[in-house]
Amino acid sequence: MLRYIFKRIVMLIPVLLGVTFIVFTLLQITPGDPAKAILGPTADAAAVAQLREEMGLNEPFLTQYGRFVYKLVFEQDMGRSYSSRQPVMSLIMQAFPATLKLAAFAVAIAVVIGIPLGIISAIKQYSIFDNTALILGLIGISMPVFWLGMLMILVFAARLKWFPSSGFSTFRHMVLPSIALSAQSVAVIMRMTRSSMLEVIRQDYIRTARAKGQTERKVITKHALRNALMPIVTTVGLQFGALLGGAVLTESVFTIPGIGRMMVEAIRMKDFPLVQGAVLFIALAFSLVNLFVDILYAYINPRIRSQYK
Amino acid sequence: MEKTTKKRRFLRLKEFWRRLKKNKLAIVGLCILCFLVLVAIFADFIATHDYAEQDLLNQYKLPSKDHYFGTDKFGRDIFSRVVHGSRISLTVGFISVGIALVFGSLIGAIAGYFSARVDNILMRLMDILLAIPQILLAIAISASLGTGLTNLMIAVGISSIPQYARIMRAAVLSLKDQQFIEATKAAGGSNFRTIFVHIIPNCLAPIIVQATLGVAFAILTAAGLSFIGLGLDPGVPEWGAMLSEGRDYIRDFPHMTLFPGLAIMITILSLNLLGDGFRDALDPKLRD
Amino acid sequence: MKKQRISVLLVLVMLVSLFGMIHPAVLANPEDNILRVATAYDAKSLDPVAVNDVASTNVMRQIYEPLIDIDNEGKVVQGGASLAESYEMVDDKTYRFKLYEGVHFHNGEELKAEDVAFSLERAQKSPQVQHIFGDIDVDTIKCIDDYTIEFSLKEVNTPFLTSLAHSGGYIVNKKFVEEAGDDFGTTQVCGTGPFKFVSWSKNDRVVLEKFDDYHGEEPKLDGIEIIPMPQPSSRLLALEAGDVDMAYELAPMDLAKVEDNPDLDLVRIIENSTQYLGFNNEKEPFNDIRVRKAFAYVIDMPKIVEAVTSGLGQVATGPMGPNIKYSLSKDLEPHEIDLEKAKELMKEAGLEDGFKVTLSTNEKKERVDMAQIIKNMLEPLNVEVEIEILEWSAYLDALSNGDVEMFQIGWSPAVPDPDMALWAPLSSFTIGEGANFSRYNNPKIDELLLKGRSLEDGEEREKVYEEIQNIILDDQPWIFEYNQEASIGVNKNVENFHVTPFSYQSLFTINFKK
Repeated sequence: MLRYIFKRIVMLIPVLLGVTFIVFTLLQITPGDPAKAILGPTADAAAVAQLREEMGLNEPFLTQYGRFVYKLVFEQDMGRSYSSRQPVMSLIMQAFPATLKLAAFAVAIAVVIGIPLGIISAIKQYSIFDNTALILGLIGISMPVFWLGMLMILVFAARLKWFPSSGFSTFRHMVLPSIALSAQSVAVIMRMTRSSMLEVIRQDYIRTARAKGQTERKVITKHALRNALMPIVTTVGLQFGALLGGAVLTESVFTIPGIGRMMVEAIRMKDFPLVQGAVLFIALAFSLVNLFVDILYAYINPRIRSQYK
Repeated sequence: MEKTTKKRRFLRLKEFWRRLKKNKLAIVGLCILCFLVLVAIFADFIATHDYAEQDLLNQYKLPSKDHYFGTDKFGRDIFSRVVHGSRISLTVGFISVGIALVFGSLIGAIAGYFSARVDNILMRLMDILLAIPQILLAIAISASLGTGLTNLMIAVGISSIPQYARIMRAAVLSLKDQQFIEATKAAGGSNFRTIFVHIIPNCLAPIIVQATLGVAFAILTAAGLSFIGLGLDPGVPEWGAMLSEGRDYIRDFPHMTLFPGLAIMITILSLNLLGDGFRDALDPKLRD
Repeated sequence: MKKQRISVLLVLVMLVSLFGMIHPAVLANPEDNILRVATAYDAKSLDPVAVNDVASTNVMRQIYEPLIDIDNEGKVVQGGASLAESYEMVDDKTYRFKLYEGVHFHNGEELKAEDVAFSLERAQKSPQVQHIFGDIDVDTIKCIDDYTIEFSLKEVNTPFLTSLAHSGGYIVNKKFVEEAGDDFGTTQVCGTGPFKFVSWSKNDRVVLEKFDDYHGEEPKLDGIEIIPMPQPSSRLLALEAGDVDMAYELAPMDLAKVEDNPDLDLVRIIENSTQYLGFNNEKEPFNDIRVRKAFAYVIDMPKIVEAVTSGLGQVATGPMGPNIKYSLSKDLEPHEIDLEKAKELMKEAGLEDGFKVTLSTNEKKERVDMAQIIKNMLEPLNVEVEIEILEWSAYLDALSNGDVEMFQIGWSPAVPDPDMALWAPLSSFTIGEGANFSRYNNPKIDELLLKGRSLEDGEEREKVYEEIQNIILDDQPWIFEYNQEASIGVNKNVENFHVTPFSYQSLFTINFKK
């Protein structure tokens, strides 16, 4: 098991290096001159040239990339943001908590709502409740998060004035974005819970338990749910990873100072080190969460482990 | 042999259709999707106004008999824009999935079919792309390509390649050692022919499911990119861009965002319904 | 069984840790004496010479002070939040400043002439503000004593004195800057102003605190928080809810909501910037004045401005804003609209069949909106417009290289002097490496601009700038769009807020009504 974990972590390194290379290349072909973006319309050519020189933009692509990787690996330094001059790492550390909180709250909401709904749907398969939950789930999956967010702002912020429409500093600020972001996850987790429960309920030991005269409640919580939980936990983990990276639209609707919005703004500003750092960091977080889910899964399900050898 | 394969395929298709028909939600999805495709094709006839025509004296008009969905900040008819938007969204959805499908399947098939070394190189490359959350990858690609419909489709397409590659590779691996493939190879069939004639058609089921859901995802991603301003040129009646335009006016004129949002939701819903239906109909395990 | 227990445990651990992250709400407390301001953009840096944007200046204005301060008309004012007790001209290029004694920086150091010399040298070298401070001849900077400094310009430049009020001229502490190194302006900030820096969380807020040792009038507020909120609707909602006390750049359609709200006041002021639709005067067909004139006859700017800005802002009638010294704009009318005349001019130019043209702009919403209407208005001339939206830096690239045909941009003079307003966008010296993006090259204008720069304020200088404006009106190198208007929503309990037309505000004078 340890060897498997170790192997998976080692495999992350070339993947993340590859991520930096791809992003570096993408930024390189992006039109526009960062030096000019920083200096604005008033700058004269000499000033732009001077700044380009200072920023090392005149060196060949591979030299620039090599220096970036060298600094990253040996000095754990991702450079400084072009636009704000702050170290990229500290900017990321300022923005990441908001994204993490947002994703965590959304997943928490999704778990608290999705799992019970899924269980009830499974127990009462084909009932009105099941069908309603099914349709609502489908709508949840189909609703663009930025539209849902806007509708929530309209109703709960602009009309009812219960919550603020932007920012992320207090609990009150977090309510709307977390709910908007959770909508898809609620649906995904609910559907997974339902199908997983249905599969378990049909198994022999559930029938046996029922035959033994145990209460339905006990059968469901003690036997069925426990056995159905594994794929659900996996789904929850994967959802968390997806939300970390996918929160960019929610952050944009509710103007949350998270890492996704920071990245989009950095792209606009041609702030290459910041884009690079943000993507690398999200990729790392995303990969680690997925790795954790994989390990968990392999730990509990030894058959998978042998496959990965 | 060719003939029996074809017949087998036909029978399977019939069986698939029989099963799909039983799934009411999937049929609803299919009907909505067909309706949307028709709207997209006949957009010019359905639209009541020129979608680009401005009328500065009639800005922000609420829905009425003249303008079913009201007008936007340039006094343009929102109904006509939503109708024309279906054309853009469906084009973006299908073409970008087409791009991802062609390249992804090819990469996956090659990776699965050839040596472990080729497999390793290609799949590590896919792992790299998969390590970046898809929407961020699409944002990064689209930023470096610039705005415009073609670039948008390419960006969304490239960002979905790894998923198809993965599915195709898994399917190819499971088929590779089966007897009829071995037989073709033994009979001297070229690799190319083996892949295209024998392997790919036999792996289509999971790919079709993924592609249906993928179109939904592509439409959502494209709308999301337009929403944050990285998608299309201004004035193009794309639903996500319309949402973004209406954003500043949501408090006073929610109709500007209501209708494009509904259009996106209905489209995605129909694709999801259909995708779920395909999955159930193609996956014998879930057959009741 | 063990396995299941583990998974249940994991879920529990996850949930508990999540709820542990909820910290007690830190709601805006209306009782505290802290001013909260919602702005449209976050600051870029708080190093005076590293930036040249209003969002950064809006924060820095509370932290730093320039040598001299100017009023809304651009006249030098004594006192206020500035550091020079007096100044004199030694000759027409040499300035001597006498500093206040006993002024302290936030780190406790006393302000000395050496700090001023250090600050001006930094500004002179900085690419961001070189267009303003580049004229200083660094070799001539002299600290006569601890409180007296003298320096010369490379050339005579009358408006230079007022440009010292620009944020690039804010005075920093030499020792502090040298010790802070790369962190200066981000986590390490230190000035002499009424408020000192506490923290800055990117895209979230800048927190400032009253500086007890301030040399000027004691600030009444205990602190200021400047909170960027990019959506105008969010700013208004936060203002209405009392989460913030002031909200900048309100959307036109929200103005009535503020006016009708008994708890809020609306503050408006025409700013000094001029937005314009520029032609590339070097390239065909816009090197032909008849084409430029024809366009001016069909592009109905009042209608466009009304549609896009809904009455916020004012149709620009000349090359510089109405509140700038010697501006003729107040007495001018918008360009006359006459399709027949336009068609005639196009025919004279041999272009009655029209042509295809690209209209470039950046992502700024108003510009994109205007571009779409302009496109429609040019249709009667058979001109087919393709709108090209470029990201800011790519756009600037295209503009300075002259890779554009028609474009939209604005020019905001850093200080409201006609030289600042006209030199950069219209002199031939700034083609290619400055802000003359229309590549308008008129020797007569160059000559007049140089003359205006060297003259003392007065009737002669006024004549020069009137002539310049009249030539530009005749030549039509641009079509003037509009002068932006600031719209700030302010809670009624905010007192002593004096709005400026510079897009950044002096918040340090404010106090809350008791």
